[in-house]
Amino acid sequence: MFLAALTPNESHELSSDAALVERLLQRDVSAFEQLYDRHSRIVYALVLRILQQASTAEEVVQDIFLLLWRNAGRYQSARGAFVPWLLTLARNRALDHLRLKSERQRRREEQTEEPPAIQSSPLFEDVLDEKRRAERVRLLMASLNPQQKKAIEMAYFEGLSHSEIAAALKEPLGTIKSWIRNGLLRLKEGLQTTS
Amino acid sequence: MSEQDQFRELIEAYALGSLDEQERVMLESHLTAGCADCAKALAEARWVTSQLAYLAPAAQPSDMLRARLLRTVRADAAAQPVRPSKPAVPVWLWAGIAALFLFTAYTTWDAWKLQRQVNEVKKRAAEELKLREQLQEQLAVAKREARIVMDPRSKKIILPPHSPDMPQLEAMWHPELGLCVMGQKVPMPGKNKVLQLWLIPKTGGKPMPSQMTWPDADGKLNILVENPPEVMAETKALAISEEPLGGSLQPTSTPMWVGGVS
Repeated sequence: MFLAALTPNESHELSSDAALVERLLQRDVSAFEQLYDRHSRIVYALVLRILQQASTAEEVVQDIFLLLWRNAGRYQSARGAFVPWLLTLARNRALDHLRLKSERQRRREEQTEEPPAIQSSPLFEDVLDEKRRAERVRLLMASLNPQQKKAIEMAYFEGLSHSEIAAALKEPLGTIKSWIRNGLLRLKEGLQTTS
Repeated sequence: MSEQDQFRELIEAYALGSLDEQERVMLESHLTAGCADCAKALAEARWVTSQLAYLAPAAQPSDMLRARLLRTVRADAAAQPVRPSKPAVPVWLWAGIAALFLFTAYTTWDAWKLQRQVNEVKKRAAEELKLREQLQEQLAVAKREARIVMDPRSKKIILPPHSPDMPQLEAMWHPELGLCVMGQKVPMPGKNKVLQLWLIPKTGGKPMPSQMTWPDADGKLNILVENPPEVMAETKALAISEEPLGGSLQPTSTPMWVGGVS
């Protein structure tokens, strides 16, 4: 059910994003404008949360959308929905900026070169608008132990490893691993229920 | 816990990017080895992880950023030509079609050439066969003539010319093998004319028309009549006259050679 096959109606929104990206290959400025208006808020919010500075966040968002405009072919609809792909790209770019020239940055750049396959939940992507989606994710995360939620946020928004989080929270490494895994599995389960 | 389970436990943290170096390298090796289950789990985990973006407090980029981006994008679009859309038929397929066309054209041409060679060989063979038949026929005639000439039962007939500047002809008549007329340096008959042999019966009736012929390029004349229209005993004389092409039922000109049979 979580990974249920797409029905025509359900796939409409996904196709729409994919179709717009396809039009970017034809240098269609209006397609770019639509994609920007549709997704720039969440991208900016994510980048700002990671970088904590508005001017730098805008620079990175500009880089992300120019990368999309100039390298639209990097997105392959067969490998997953557009929004998760864009958010993954945005997070990696922001973390790269945060830890410029570090080994972690080099690794993420490599990952950015080859977009990963992302298996999304079609119903969740299509049915819920951005605001409701955010509410659902926040609600699910709020149900976690505060420390567990904190550990996941440190990994996601700050790009910290298990060891770094364990050191920062002064918790055993095994506990951090367990918190993160169980928290993500619970989030997955909650999103599945939403779907 | 199986090794597979151990890897599955690392998937979520790997998608999040929080694995320590050693575990990350270990899982990447496993994924590179082609574990389909882990690859699928990773794709799902990446999607779950991407949803964490919605934890970020809502924020909106400035209008200036939008304006700046669109300005850059419009300038890009104006500066760079529109990328040609992907052709319906890829280049490699066109190359394949062209190669197939060339191959077909070549094989057609080659087949046509072979057919022409076959036809030429057939024609040559037919010509050879015809020549062989002609030679066999000539050989049979020569043999028959030789037998007529050599056989003591044959009767020799001299055909003196009507004109003194013409050569004399000789004939040999065998009662069973036929009649053979021979001569050398015989002039070619006139245009649209032919030399025709006549058998003049003893009864005083009309001359019996026989074979028509021409001397060869060297003036050699050979007439073989296997079944003469009249038997030797009933024939008074042989005559040869010049007649129109196709021959005549009655002589239309004065005979050029006449020779008595008995």
